[in-house]
Amino acid sequence: MKLSREASKKVLVLVMLLPAAATITLFLAFPAALTVLISLTELDYRFQWIWCGVGNYAKLFNSPVLQFIVKATAIYVAGTLAFNTLMGLVIALVSTRVHEGLGTFIRAIWLLPRVLPSVVWALLMMWIFSPLEHGFLNSLIVKAGGKPIPWTFLYHWPFLFIVNGFIGSSLSGIVFSSAIKSIPQDYIIAARVDGASSFTIVRKIILPMIKWHIAFFVAYNTLSLIASFEYILLTLNGGPGFYSTEVMILHAYHLAFGQYMVAMDFGYAATIVTILLVIGLVLSIAYWRVFRLRRLMIEPKLE
Amino acid sequence: MRAGKILLYAAAVVLAALPVVPVILLFFLAFSEHPIYVEGFTLKNFEFLKTGVLFSDHPLYSRLYPNVYTVMVNTFLLALGNMLLVVLVSSMAAYVISRYSFKGRSALLGAFLVIHGVPASVLLIALYYMLKATGLLNTLLGVVLVKMSVDLPLGVWVLKGFYDGIPWDTEIAALVDGASRVGAFFRIMLPLVSPGLFAVGLFSFLSGWGEYIFVYTFIQSSTNWTFSLLIQSLFSEMGGINLALVAALSIVYLIPVLAIFITGEKYLLRVTIGGVKG
Repeated sequence: MKLSREASKKVLVLVMLLPAAATITLFLAFPAALTVLISLTELDYRFQWIWCGVGNYAKLFNSPVLQFIVKATAIYVAGTLAFNTLMGLVIALVSTRVHEGLGTFIRAIWLLPRVLPSVVWALLMMWIFSPLEHGFLNSLIVKAGGKPIPWTFLYHWPFLFIVNGFIGSSLSGIVFSSAIKSIPQDYIIAARVDGASSFTIVRKIILPMIKWHIAFFVAYNTLSLIASFEYILLTLNGGPGFYSTEVMILHAYHLAFGQYMVAMDFGYAATIVTILLVIGLVLSIAYWRVFRLRRLMIEPKLE
Repeated sequence: MRAGKILLYAAAVVLAALPVVPVILLFFLAFSEHPIYVEGFTLKNFEFLKTGVLFSDHPLYSRLYPNVYTVMVNTFLLALGNMLLVVLVSSMAAYVISRYSFKGRSALLGAFLVIHGVPASVLLIALYYMLKATGLLNTLLGVVLVKMSVDLPLGVWVLKGFYDGIPWDTEIAALVDGASRVGAFFRIMLPLVSPGLFAVGLFSFLSGWGEYIFVYTFIQSSTNWTFSLLIQSLFSEMGGINLALVAALSIVYLIPVLAIFITGEKYLLRVTIGGVKG
């Protein structure tokens, strides 16, 4: 029996799409919905569903810890974002002005921290900036006759910006470089003929012409930073001291899985996660509108 | 003008050196004679490679940590499983999304885009509950399934870009010559997007190889540990006692990563760019 064209198309689409659709539904969409449900319960190590309405939300908004974790999240996102954007601009401006081979090499080599396993990158940073005497920087200082500096205690935020920024800057560097390369050379030559300095060219021509790429990167990176905590968990883990670098998602992680699994306060932890999910969803929809992402989804004309 | 040029190139060299310096330092530390300082050259930190037992001369310590080769096999299984599943599932889905118009296509693509933007860490609590309910907690299979679903959206977007880049004429020519749609997919389309498959494969292999959070959260028994867990555990417990050993272990962990990075860097770049564009 021969299937009709329309039917065979349907079968093909269904069969080829099913694994992906099922995976996304089962492991991404369903857990997202489940998180919202868990946030309305007192689910803990006993794994019993005890509904408590918005009790967890009330508890969170009255918690004295809330102000610390919100402040830490704001500092973390703003600082890392600033580092990523500025470093990305430096990478892009330098790598597009030097000899092409060197430029490509710079952009490629900045991918290295991104492809290194997070654990190795974190331990390298912890060793280099260790407050102890055997930390790499401190061992140099001691050898030169100085006193060891407690880097991660004195400068915990800059430390985290560096740890995370070396990962994120590769992305911004690549985005901005390709944007700069697409600027017609005539503009820059014309400005140079008119006597503009390199600084003026960057400020008056290059930056205005790549501003949408910068905006896109900032938007995209905000979304991923708001719920990222892997490198904080691996390095300072919320410290030093009382919640100094405990961002919201890390606090949720500690509530659910911290301290050798004795925490397991899943219901309360899910509350924080749900708030972050809602923020993420709102931002995604806003970006969708602003950056007109729909044009990425043009339907195929033939079939 | 001349001074400006020298300054520019000096900045370029510093910029090129910054990300590499820490990795070079790691090599020095791994071959260091002193357990916590960079000093001299020795191979003794790599002695665990003979039997896979860490601290073999110290019965108390050696019982604490799993065999390095068991850990290596676990890490490899996670990376390989992730790679195969992501490539298989995304190569099919991306083809259909690139070539067919059907109900829910935009919704699906939009979902892939949104999901890729938000880190999967927000799903940990629910995933923990689901894995526990299905008995997949503390198994590598559970971690592989979670990991591949997280890497899938990027794979689909990147491969959709590769399929979009193949002209319709190529496929139509195959159909005119008598191939079926399925035949054309396997014999014409798949070989033509092989650079994309390669790129997504390398990316998801590395992603699985380096994974930490999912393994740390979902795996408890040390027979199922991967390198990331072993190194993090060693570093926090033994970092002050034998840092050089942790560095040596990290070098072993990094060998495939550096090999893939050096040989496949231009492919990885495609994934990063693809990930940004969509």
